[in-house]
Amino acid sequence: MSSGFATRALHGTGPASEETFSPLRTPIHDTVAFGFDSAQSIADAFAGRIPRHSYSRISNPTVAEFEKRVQQLADSLGVVALSSGMAAIANLIMTLAGAGTNIVASRFLFGNTTSLLTHTLEPWGLETRFVDMTRPEQVAAAIDHNTRAVFLESITNPQLEVADLAAIAAISHAKGVPLILDNTAPTFYLCRGQDFGVDIEVVSSTKYISGGGTSVGGLIIDHGLFDWTKSPRLASRAAKFGPFALLATLRREANRNLGACLSPHAAYLQTLGLETMPLRIDRSCASTLALAEFLRNLPQVQSVNYPGLTDHPAHALAERQFGGRYGGILTFDLASQEDCFTFIDRLHLIRRATNINDNKSLALHPASTIFNEFTQAEQEILGIRPTMIRLSVGLEEIGDLQNDLEQALIS
Amino acid sequence: MKLAINGVTQEVPGDLLTVMQVLNSQKVESPDMVAVQVNGVFVARPQYDDFVLKENDAVEFLYFMGGGCA
Repeated sequence: MSSGFATRALHGTGPASEETFSPLRTPIHDTVAFGFDSAQSIADAFAGRIPRHSYSRISNPTVAEFEKRVQQLADSLGVVALSSGMAAIANLIMTLAGAGTNIVASRFLFGNTTSLLTHTLEPWGLETRFVDMTRPEQVAAAIDHNTRAVFLESITNPQLEVADLAAIAAISHAKGVPLILDNTAPTFYLCRGQDFGVDIEVVSSTKYISGGGTSVGGLIIDHGLFDWTKSPRLASRAAKFGPFALLATLRREANRNLGACLSPHAAYLQTLGLETMPLRIDRSCASTLALAEFLRNLPQVQSVNYPGLTDHPAHALAERQFGGRYGGILTFDLASQEDCFTFIDRLHLIRRATNINDNKSLALHPASTIFNEFTQAEQEILGIRPTMIRLSVGLEEIGDLQNDLEQALIS
Repeated sequence: MKLAINGVTQEVPGDLLTVMQVLNSQKVESPDMVAVQVNGVFVARPQYDDFVLKENDAVEFLYFMGGGCA
């Protein structure tokens, strides 16, 4: 029996072809829902008795392939991909903590992370205790029986502070609290968090992974080291899922209920980006070190901050934790905010944009942009100076970058 | 032996079956992405080869779909 025009427009002449063409890249499965053969099979999928994708807010084959590739590269237990790095942090903290509990976090964090903790989550009853992570005794003093996680960045953005991960992990674990590391700056390529006792990593895949600022995304990487029976929020799931308790809760609760899923298009781009990530990181790290040394010899530059410089206070620690490469971000100070604005306006090659680890080099004045919601007094506490410029070093020829910096600094 | 697998009682050939043998006999897809419970208690993956099931045990295979799990 032939169908009507509108029905044929919707369904074609039969089921969608499942012919395999052996593509070298995972196709973009750009669909919201997935079909089932029977009522029983969809019931089994919802109950978790069979492995099937049902709805792309919860899981999708293209996103799953990206997660699998990251899981293998990070040598982790499992990975959940989300729509942004901030979504990864928010989903993770909302899964582990709640009203009446607290998080112990670095005083130096990405501005939006600080804002998430203080402006967004504090009104819901979550306390954040900010500490100096370079003084691990402050972490020990801040943790109590209501602490649900310790949170820090591997290289803080943009203060470029580096803390002793193993020391902080030892303190966290002695108190029965998981350690979360925002590992965006070096990624799991330069810094294997689990080697230092990190339980969970969050990574903004928008940065190095996306392969040139193509797409926004975030990752939660569970190394499977933490005993989730110790987590009040996850203890009951730990009895059911064992070490997979966090991953199962993220998938079945946070992803489903908060809806910050990564799109299949973004997952495709970021899987592609993973292929060249180590090459791009190697080049940008080498260029950043060269530019740090170049800038410190220019008379207009008051100071240069980069963990790769041997006089950086955490240089030896950074060398140990990141294997002799120090990331693609440096900061430097000029005499005044006015000088910073003039310098940024004069740049020809380096772009004026708020992103990091793009293939293109980018310059930003943090105080007036990513930290503009904080008062100057708050900015001082957060390590942000009005005279500071953040430079994210891309893949251009080093000579071209030096020329652009030099011509923009000529007064 | 008689086992309740994902809520359905069935006869599985063999007398002394391990969790891994039942996983294999049931042709469980993606065995590296499934959590196993026996009588409501989680069984860790390293125990699959040694955990011997008893008659009438309830075995649950629970997937948390999406990939990215070792």
